[in-house]
Amino acid sequence: MTELAERAAPAAALPPGTRSPIGDLLRYRQLVAMLVVRELKVRYKRSVFGLLWTMLNPLLLMVVYTIVFATIMRSPQKNFAIFLLSGLLPWLFFSTALLQGLTSILTNQELIRKVRLPQAVFPLSVVGSNLVNFSLSLLPLLLLMAVLGQPFTPALLFLPVGMLILTVFTSGVTLLFSTFTVFFRDVRHLTEVLLQMLLYLSPVLYDLQMLGDRGEWWFRAFRLFLRLNPISYLLPLIRDPVYYGRLPSLTTVGVASLESVVMAAVAFAVFHRLAPRHIHYL
Amino acid sequence: MRNGEIHIRDAGISYRLYREKVSTLKEAVVNRFRHLRSVEMFWALRHVSLDIQPGEAIALVGHNGSGKSTLLKTIAGVLQPSEGEVLVQGRISPMIELGAGFDAELSGRDNIFLNGALLGFSRKQMEAKFDRIVEFSELADFIDMPIKNYSSGMYARLGFAIAQDVEPDILIVDEVLAVGDERFQEKCKARIRDFRSAGVTFCFVSHHLDAAKELCPRAAVLHHGRLAFDGPIDQSWERYRELERGPVPGPQIEAG
Repeated sequence: MTELAERAAPAAALPPGTRSPIGDLLRYRQLVAMLVVRELKVRYKRSVFGLLWTMLNPLLLMVVYTIVFATIMRSPQKNFAIFLLSGLLPWLFFSTALLQGLTSILTNQELIRKVRLPQAVFPLSVVGSNLVNFSLSLLPLLLLMAVLGQPFTPALLFLPVGMLILTVFTSGVTLLFSTFTVFFRDVRHLTEVLLQMLLYLSPVLYDLQMLGDRGEWWFRAFRLFLRLNPISYLLPLIRDPVYYGRLPSLTTVGVASLESVVMAAVAFAVFHRLAPRHIHYL
Repeated sequence: MRNGEIHIRDAGISYRLYREKVSTLKEAVVNRFRHLRSVEMFWALRHVSLDIQPGEAIALVGHNGSGKSTLLKTIAGVLQPSEGEVLVQGRISPMIELGAGFDAELSGRDNIFLNGALLGFSRKQMEAKFDRIVEFSELADFIDMPIKNYSSGMYARLGFAIAQDVEPDILIVDEVLAVGDERFQEKCKARIRDFRSAGVTFCFVSHHLDAAKELCPRAAVLHHGRLAFDGPIDQSWERYRELERGPVPGPQIEAG
């Protein structure tokens, strides 16, 4: 058939199996992008405000928290709403992506049984769609900053870097937990509980500086935990530029980058090893 | 290896039986002690060797549960062999199930791009194919409609239209031609014959001698996970009938 011969297979026609796992995944990056779009499209289908909900959500959250903390509980922080949101928005990105992403292998099992593709595209696309949401939710935050007269400093230019580091970390954790969930369905419920606890054991609603110093042993244990908690180094990447108008410290950026890269590398290696066995446990 | 070549050497696929399948942490801990030695395996396929040359057409024949689908899935790369080796060279168009990966909420148009991406094509590559796919599917009027409103025939037409346009070296068809009306079935068969004459390797699963004979000169008969016959299609059917009449051995469960 001349017609067929003319449509000679393009370079991409190499079978996926002959490539390195990373090259394999890179080849499917457009699929990740498409799955992200699909997720957003399906999520906001037939809703009048569509993507606006992503921005309305933090806005409503803001109103509630501002009323509770600033008026009822009389927080000492200035512009407490901004303080709170600059920690809460990255936390919500991390926790929502993780909770949605860890079941993504299970929810796409029909496809995994039938088409050969790198399974990492499913958890990664969930992280991607949540990253879109996270980015959009920063817009009302910036709006609120303007309204409340919070200064805009050049440090805000650091935000994309901070978001990148946070995304690498989130991708790693989500990949790891999505493969564990295939083998142990409890992981999902366990993660829900752990995230609830972690919200209070991470500097989301408070800050390390706000804690002050106390001598009791439990307080020292708590501080030690905060020091060992990887989240403690990720949240300042967003909060420092937004609320304090300064760049995060070099130590923070260094530790955050290192832990994110290590997490992602370990997660990818584990995922790649376990993925061929998923099909027997779905 | 040349494109379109399939090389299967002493391949086996085992499934863990449900008892052994661990789904909760508690079971995992308990099973650590209980099932330490005796893991029960079910061999869906064992000691299968097949060499398929580029451009060859082979029909896979066997009773339900004989391992045909397992073999197809292994060739398609969805399953990894538990033992032996399976080497497949070239792009595979898996029509194991038409429209696998369709999202019912999305339009036919979006699904064409999504399905293309699932098969490893970029958006640009799919744009070049788009018009041909729509034309082949004869769904131009419905292409912007969510496919949950499609009939099952339309669904299969769109699926086949995509699968026939991915420039495969190996075409895997799992009895999908039973869907759609007769005219469309003929169109699909004609398309498959085109592929055949273009030198595409063709693996076909069928329970119907006529359909298989029309497309494949060679057939492999699978019986309870073993390769029972490999040769000309006419003789294969005799062997298949013979096996069907014979005593059916129990499932092969082996302690490993």
